[in-house]
Amino acid sequence: MRYLYASIFLWALLGVGLIIPNIADARPVSYPGGITLMLNNDNDKNTAHLHYSPTAKTSIGYKLEYWRDKELTLNAIQMNNLLKRWNKKDSQANLYLKSGLGIAHSDKGDFDNETQAAGFTGLAADWENRRFFTSYENRYTEAGDIDDFYSQSARVGWAPYEGDYGDLHTWLMLQVEHMPEAKDNVTVTPLIRLFKGVHMLEAGMNTRGEALFNYVLRY
Amino acid sequence: MKKLTILMTALTLSFAAPAYAAEDSKPATAEQTISTGDVHVSVNGLVCDFCARALEKVFGKEEAVKGIDVNLDTKMITINFNKGQSLDNETITNLITDAGYNVEGIHRVE
Repeated sequence: MRYLYASIFLWALLGVGLIIPNIADARPVSYPGGITLMLNNDNDKNTAHLHYSPTAKTSIGYKLEYWRDKELTLNAIQMNNLLKRWNKKDSQANLYLKSGLGIAHSDKGDFDNETQAAGFTGLAADWENRRFFTSYENRYTEAGDIDDFYSQSARVGWAPYEGDYGDLHTWLMLQVEHMPEAKDNVTVTPLIRLFKGVHMLEAGMNTRGEALFNYVLRY
Repeated sequence: MKKLTILMTALTLSFAAPAYAAEDSKPATAEQTISTGDVHVSVNGLVCDFCARALEKVFGKEEAVKGIDVNLDTKMITINFNKGQSLDNETITNLITDAGYNVEGIHRVE
């Protein structure tokens, strides 16, 4: 039941994002022939994801995750599918399926030095125009006997100005993450996103004073 | 076991199924006569710098194309062609659709 309430809360936040400030998303699928590198660092984990998009509907790549408190390393082949895109005159919305298959290695407790098969899957949705952005995504991760966990997050963002093509684009965002099994299971992180050319940077700090730093390179 | 079944189903779908569909693109509304002048294309979904860069990359691979200009305010791209060359409306529409966007209209400058 707690999951349900949390989901309703995050979806409500997503809805609010349609009418007040919000963000732009690091797209899980690029243009045909595009290669994307994504590095994410937050209070829970450090991740790297390198993917190639043969079409504008699919990307396949390698995902490395290290969950610091869990002392869990995940190596996976990840595939992202654009299930549906809504292109409108002044906005765009997307629905993605993101899944991975690989191995998990634990260095903690009863599972010290244990390696098992692992997989994860989840849905991601976003909507944006040139001033407002909102997104939601969830994921279920299964790492054999070592661990299994569910997480979800939502973002809203607002661009203080509308940059032209090639300009520096700036977004102010608020991210809310929910991880039911965690001690602090809700994390709220205000952040800034800077986007220019093929580079995108995000920096923020959550309400517990922990830093977030993400970098995306598209070429 | 139930969680594992759900996870395996999603993974199978993700890795085996060809991905989705964007909205059907509307047919180009401009006349099909091919000229070698600039072409202005109104594009739906052109809302961010990344979208513009995607179209620049896609058209940059075409030998006939000298370059493109993107105007995010008007959601319009202008395609400049090399001397004596051009692309027909169907090709332009297909390139934009394959890149994940929709063509609203095509206007050729004589």
